[in-house]
Amino acid sequence: MEAIEVREVTKTFGSVTAVDDLTLTVPQGSVYGFIGPNGSGKTTTMRMIVNIFYPDRGAIRVFGQDAGGESSKEIGYLPEERGLYKKMNVLDQLIFLGRLHGLTASEANTTSRYWCEKLQITEAIPKKTEDLSKGMQQKIQFIASLLHDPELIIMDEPFSGLDPVNAALLMDTLADLRTQGKTILFSTHRMDQVEKLCDSICLVDKGAAVLAGRMREIKSRYERNHVVVEFEGSDKFLSSAEIAEAKNFSGHAEIRLKPHGDAQKLLQEASAGATIYRFELVEPSLEEIFIWTVGGKADA
Amino acid sequence: MRNILLIARREYLEQVRGRAFRMTTIGLPAVFALVLGVGYLSSLGLGANRHMAVAAPNAALANAIRDQLVGDKAAKARIDVFVQPTPEQRAVLVKQVHAAQLDGLLWVETAPGRTPTGTFVSQSSGDFITAARLKSALTHAVLGERLMGGGMKQGDADTLVDGVPLDTWQVKKDGSLVKTNAESSLWKGYVMALLLSMTTMIYGMNVARSIIQEKTSRIFEVMLAIAKPGDMLAGKLIGVGAVGLTQIAIWLAAGAVILFSPLAAAIMTGELAVHFTWTEAVLFPVYFVLGYLLYSSLFAGLAATCETEQELQMYMPLAAAPTWLSFALILLIINDSNSFWSVAASLFPPTAPVIMFLRMASEIPPVWQLALSIGLMAVSIWGVLWFSTRLYRVGILMYGKRATLPELMRWLRYS
Repeated sequence: MEAIEVREVTKTFGSVTAVDDLTLTVPQGSVYGFIGPNGSGKTTTMRMIVNIFYPDRGAIRVFGQDAGGESSKEIGYLPEERGLYKKMNVLDQLIFLGRLHGLTASEANTTSRYWCEKLQITEAIPKKTEDLSKGMQQKIQFIASLLHDPELIIMDEPFSGLDPVNAALLMDTLADLRTQGKTILFSTHRMDQVEKLCDSICLVDKGAAVLAGRMREIKSRYERNHVVVEFEGSDKFLSSAEIAEAKNFSGHAEIRLKPHGDAQKLLQEASAGATIYRFELVEPSLEEIFIWTVGGKADA
Repeated sequence: MRNILLIARREYLEQVRGRAFRMTTIGLPAVFALVLGVGYLSSLGLGANRHMAVAAPNAALANAIRDQLVGDKAAKARIDVFVQPTPEQRAVLVKQVHAAQLDGLLWVETAPGRTPTGTFVSQSSGDFITAARLKSALTHAVLGERLMGGGMKQGDADTLVDGVPLDTWQVKKDGSLVKTNAESSLWKGYVMALLLSMTTMIYGMNVARSIIQEKTSRIFEVMLAIAKPGDMLAGKLIGVGAVGLTQIAIWLAAGAVILFSPLAAAIMTGELAVHFTWTEAVLFPVYFVLGYLLYSSLFAGLAATCETEQELQMYMPLAAAPTWLSFALILLIINDSNSFWSVAASLFPPTAPVIMFLRMASEIPPVWQLALSIGLMAVSIWGVLWFSTRLYRVGILMYGKRATLPELMRWLRYS
């Protein structure tokens, strides 16, 4: 069964079409990356899936049922707009949100404490939300969306505003949830995180899907014509006739070869003037695919 | 229903535990008592301890005026009498007023066949209390003089001059007669209507402020993913309303303790005795709840369209206008509580709570009117809630810009 099915959905606000005939399918048990430039309709789509907005046209089904039905109890949602009751203490707040999700007070209490411990914020439990740092508050919201052990987790920009340590902690937590068989749909501008976590992606632009499918399958559409070189010495080889585009970051170069460019010839030119520590022919990164696609430069 | 109660419980506990609740529970009656107390105390010495001169054409009239003024214990006046004074004497007395040796001069002229006149000279043009006392004393004295001049005995003239007492009695629905006091009825109606409108407005404002705060804190999107907007609004209205009822219950309990004190017993049997009926005691919380629900649902819809508390405060006086209109009708209602306009205003939902209590101060309206007014209010609450919930649903997710009227109309369609 599919966890989410969005079929030909359109949503407009006045004269603005936020989502335009969008279709996507999120398989159960997968991690799905929802990417796109700012204002491309990601948040509106997520809000429709959790039934905050209603589509003007099309249909959305969650675990085979219409959005907003019984299946919505299986959703844990972390919105982009972070918000908590500032004057409430953390535990009371989590218990309140847990109870709204259908837990008893005792269950909500136990689960809240478990997650606070797991995300290393036990010291925040007795504090008022307004006394916590932004990162801490974000973790509390993250916990709030998981208290009822949902089967489907939807997170809008879950990593924004987090330091690298906390971002890694959240990544690990999402990876754990995936191994438990949960379905995760999240949006982010951090393509490296999408590459590490996601099985499938959907790239939206101006409300419409412009690229969708399994990560491996999407990447395989592009030629393996990218080279990463780590070197010491002359960088003259970066002006080789085999190269279409090159970026040099002090001994670390990322190169895109011309169509039919010869990687072996380039290696010979590079080793003639520099000591080569690494020379690797790689697929294009998701970030590059994103920029080509949204910028209209896709060559696949 | 479970979510409504959970949201109501959170609202209730958060507000009741808050400092603002403690401050207003104790502070509001204290401020009310302080204002009344200061007003009363400051009025005690007004117009008293004046040293004045009374100049009249004859000794009997001058002495009668002096006796009237000295007889007024609150005035504590000291009066010098001048009989048939000359214009030169008048000039000297005016100079004494100017030099503050005298607080005032009352110059009386009563030429036969002409209307008696009095002139009061003082340094203060705003001393209306003294002027009123002088006018009363002069009227009494001149009237007494004229009556006795016409052959009436002094005792009879004094009785007439003091006025004829008038008792007011009200025929109750069961035919029994009850002695009433129009002035105390007016005050009772006024105080109860004021209390009702103040609490309704305060808690309606609390709902609106709570929505703005939640909008600012961006909690709404988390909540909307879990609960329906209608449940969220209903929970908020119930929770904040329960806080209001708790506060009223505390005030009523404190009031009951004071009412059973010996001091209150003395007041309650005095001239301005105030009598409350069971009907009023039962209907007060009923009209509070109805008035609160009507105005707070209106304020909630309004708050959802606003960005800041300052913006909200600009609209509030407009939304609360019917309540202030009710107070403008106070004399009309008290004077004739069964007139067409009195009945109409007490059935019109926005003015019903205040007007109904003003009417009740004179007499309890017929049951059908009470029932109709409650029914109309219930229907209005449903209608306002219908609109407000729709505005609320869309408005609480709109950040950063004030909604225009066409946008509000669209919001109603989105939902």
